[in-house]
Amino acid sequence: MSLPSTALSIAGLRKSFGSNEVLRGIDLVAKDGDVISLIGASGSGKSTLLRCIPMLEIPDVGTVSVGEDSLSPTGGRLSRAQLAVARQMRGHLGFVFQNFNLWPHRTVLQNVIEAPLFVQSRPRAEAVEEATALLEKVGLAEKRDAWPAHLSGGQQQRVAIARALAQRPRAILFDEPTSALDPELVGEVLKVIRALAAEGRTMLIVTHEMGFAREVSSRVVFLHQGLIEEAGTPGQVFGNPASERCRAFLSGHFDRNR
Amino acid sequence: MQADLTLLGLGPDGWGLALARAGLMTLYVSVAAFLSGLAFGTLIAWARVAGNWPLRKLAEAYATVFRGVPDILVIYLFYFGGRQVVTAIGTALGLSGPFDISGFLAGVLAIGLISAANQSEVLRGAYQAVPRGTIEAGRVVGMTRLILFRRVIAPQALVTAIPGMGNQWQSVIKESALVSVTGLVETMRQVAVAAGTTQEHFLFYAAGAIIYLIITTLSDHVFRLAERRSLRGHEQGGL
Repeated sequence: MSLPSTALSIAGLRKSFGSNEVLRGIDLVAKDGDVISLIGASGSGKSTLLRCIPMLEIPDVGTVSVGEDSLSPTGGRLSRAQLAVARQMRGHLGFVFQNFNLWPHRTVLQNVIEAPLFVQSRPRAEAVEEATALLEKVGLAEKRDAWPAHLSGGQQQRVAIARALAQRPRAILFDEPTSALDPELVGEVLKVIRALAAEGRTMLIVTHEMGFAREVSSRVVFLHQGLIEEAGTPGQVFGNPASERCRAFLSGHFDRNR
Repeated sequence: MQADLTLLGLGPDGWGLALARAGLMTLYVSVAAFLSGLAFGTLIAWARVAGNWPLRKLAEAYATVFRGVPDILVIYLFYFGGRQVVTAIGTALGLSGPFDISGFLAGVLAIGLISAANQSEVLRGAYQAVPRGTIEAGRVVGMTRLILFRRVIAPQALVTAIPGMGNQWQSVIKESALVSVTGLVETMRQVAVAAGTTQEHFLFYAAGAIIYLIITTLSDHVFRLAERRSLRGHEQGGL
């Protein structure tokens, strides 16, 4: 069996907001099929790290590679040429936001076919067929003509996942996908993400759902003050963390959830 | 005193045809002024939202000037001032006068530029009301700025902008009456002439009011329809 190749890599990534250094040198590699959970206290930089990958935040220094495309921005800006590369990279990623961010003026189906049609210029019939299958997969086939505002949060997030999958992404990035949901709606979204993991999708997931992270991840990364403090299999990180801070974070978390 | 309603008819003594033509002229002037205001207002709004510092300041200054000066003064400036400028240029080129500029053009330009300042305010507010997250969602799937504007920003901003734009259109129609000072025969001018000729002041000014009301009421309906249509998918929205 051949080794999986690198889907996504981050090297020497730093990012400040004003005088606040949020990321202080991050290196991370995701091979095809990896499911990596990013955990840590709020303010540890995990969401910023995720947002730096498609250049929603532009790193001060460091390199981000997705498949063949690679970017090393300097000074927190992208040149015109770099922006074109960033767009290409974005085309190979799916991104799922905490607040879903569906386009409210488009129906469920239109949300899913938007990028295939208007960014990737695929034929309409093909895009619709694929979108229909994706909506089926997330359990929302019957909602294809509904407006986002008429859906529950959990349904909106599942549409957002279908929209991300329509990118035919090399990797999917989830930014706290269940944090904005009412507790009773969390399960339906986690179920969809679990199914994607079982399919062998490459995913990076920023999450506070520790039980879910433990169960679904191939690797867990714990961030503390802009640095990777601990990384390993779920068994290692949750079972026997080397870092005292990681241990404290996890015990705090599991206590709170009990 | 009994007003002679045949004065409003199409008969040989009637002003009906003239009034209808004048009503159409009001519509022409208003549409032309509104559209040029929309085009220019979009540019101003864009400069204020996305421009660099000098561009932003220039656009702000523009809005301040045109919102702070009486409309009638701007029309005088363009019509009489414009004629003076054209004459000066014509004379300098050795052409023989007399020189004139069209009241239509001067009026449309003046009202269009005033309206542009107001429309830019409406458009800027509408842009700022577009949820940032939906813009980010467009960027993250790889949209270019143009596609992002066309597919994500404009359709959402339009929903917010339509009621405000309806108000701007109404005020353009009313401002178009000021263009009568240039001698352009639109509704205001025509009813004034008819009233003066026949000495039936009440009759003709009332007829003028009705012409304006017909135009504003009809266009109000159009804007309401557009608003209802644009609200599809929004919680308060129709269909």
